Amino acid sequence: MKKLRLGVLFSYLILFIFAVITVFPFVYMLLGGLMSFQETTSIPPTLIPHHFEWSNYAKVFAQAPFARYFFNTILTASITTIVSLFNSLLGAFAMVNLHFKGKGVVQMVLLSLLMVPGEAIIFTNYNTIAHLGLLNTYIGLVLPFLTSIFYMYYLQSYFGSISDTIYKAAMIDGASDWEYIWKILVPMSKGGLFTVGLLSFISGWNSFLWPLLVTNEDTMRLLNNGLATFASDAGSETQLQLAAATLTVLPILILYFIFRKQIIQGVVRNDLKG
Amino acid sequence: MKTNQKKAWLFLAPTIIFVTLFSIYPILRAFGMSLQKGSLIDLSWAEFSNYQYLFHDPEFWLAIKNTILYAVISVPVGLAISIMLAWIIFSKVKHKAFFETTFFMPYVTSTIAIGIVFRYIFNGDYGMLNFILRSLHLPAPNWIDDPAMSLTTIIIFGIWTSLAFNIVILMGALRNIDPNFYTIAEMYGASGKDKFWRITMPELVPTIAFLLTMNVIGAFKIYTSVYALFNGQAGVGNSATTAVFYIYNKFQIVGTPGVAMAATVILFLIILLATFLQRKMMKKIGEN
Repeated sequence: MKKLRLGVLFSYLILFIFAVITVFPFVYMLLGGLMSFQETTSIPPTLIPHHFEWSNYAKVFAQAPFARYFFNTILTASITTIVSLFNSLLGAFAMVNLHFKGKGVVQMVLLSLLMVPGEAIIFTNYNTIAHLGLLNTYIGLVLPFLTSIFYMYYLQSYFGSISDTIYKAAMIDGASDWEYIWKILVPMSKGGLFTVGLLSFISGWNSFLWPLLVTNEDTMRLLNNGLATFASDAGSETQLQLAAATLTVLPILILYFIFRKQIIQGVVRNDLKG
Repeated sequence: MKTNQKKAWLFLAPTIIFVTLFSIYPILRAFGMSLQKGSLIDLSWAEFSNYQYLFHDPEFWLAIKNTILYAVISVPVGLAISIMLAWIIFSKVKHKAFFETTFFMPYVTSTIAIGIVFRYIFNGDYGMLNFILRSLHLPAPNWIDDPAMSLTTIIIFGIWTSLAFNIVILMGALRNIDPNFYTIAEMYGASGKDKFWRITMPELVPTIAFLLTMNVIGAFKIYTSVYALFNGQAGVGNSATTAVFYIYNKFQIVGTPGVAMAATVILFLIILLATFLQRKMMKKIGEN
């Protein structure tokens, strides 16, 4: 019995240590963004600032157009989320409720494309966008992401669980496909659509390599690219970098804490079936 | 109802158009460009010279070596820690949701932002990590500025970031194991160890196989975390360059898209091979 308790205690200790390792960088980021320059680089390291330097945030906004980065990021993340959700919704509906020749081929091609790493095609996509003259434009930023095989596949499994008799009944009642989608399918799968939307928005918010390629004007940068540039430009002002990092992470963390159930469930469901 | 409803194509049209333009075409284009030389606006046929160039480029081999080392070390270690933590949370702890929420935080946050934070924690002089190491009288290496340490630093950061996804997926799988298995095992007096190795692990094999594949693919694509940790560089003197770094460099900076695409094709083939080998391996384990 004593041995058993020791085991439990040991387990808790491991869990505690790893929880601290996970949370500490976030805590350090929040606190570091409120320190003075001396405090961020002092030996031994400061953990709690003596005086909260809220002015760091004002300096960040004064030194780089972070308001613009926020605007660009929210805009592009929202557009990709809404449009790709709409396109995946229509596609998933067709794959679940309609019968047509070539469905198997379409499904197979889409599933095998899921295996292709994004980094393998991002550079040739850059080429396409450059040819279309869309570098440094919002259209260039969002165009390759206006549909998502991943989310379509996810929605398919969601729609598949809705009985086919509902669709047939709607058809007998004289509803069109379009009416069925908006009056029955969407309301019945609100939760799934919302989860997919959240995941899509978060990945749009955190995107880095694509916007790095297709934008080079400061006014078109997204948050993460702006942050990376800011970090190398303001190389010596460590406290400002941490404040800027906080600005980038905090909105998503807040979103995460509000909707953590949906987000975690979405990720588990999404990926276990994929 | 076995009719051919052609209207389906109308609903699929947006997806098919975008997928063709931005997934299928770029794959074919990448293969094509890997056989061409010159700049983006002036490409000409080059047969396999780009591939020959790669095989003689020490920088390419360093990038491949770093990428493979990163994958081979960070993936199993990250997975082992994740299994341990998920099992502890699942079997020992009451507030599962609380710990799940905590451990998942890194998954939703920006790699760039958190990488910048790690740059300070890893700082050789005033970093928190070395402060702790020194107070424990352990060696305190220069994590960021020493070329010999850069890969280790990336691996530690990589393991830290990988835990979030793994733990959440493993928790999902653990919840799906039939609790009757454990009840019956307890009736027969099985120990905690027995339960873990005889019930939990075999039941987790498909999930672990899936995570292994996802992690390895992710490891081969590593770019952003290196960029963030080393302030836009691939470590001091390119010591931590990775495959995607190499591709980006050849494509955008040096301006040889053919070489970049040849490297992309090789990376793609490595990922396919790794995925294939893992599937085979896990199938064998599953059969035993």
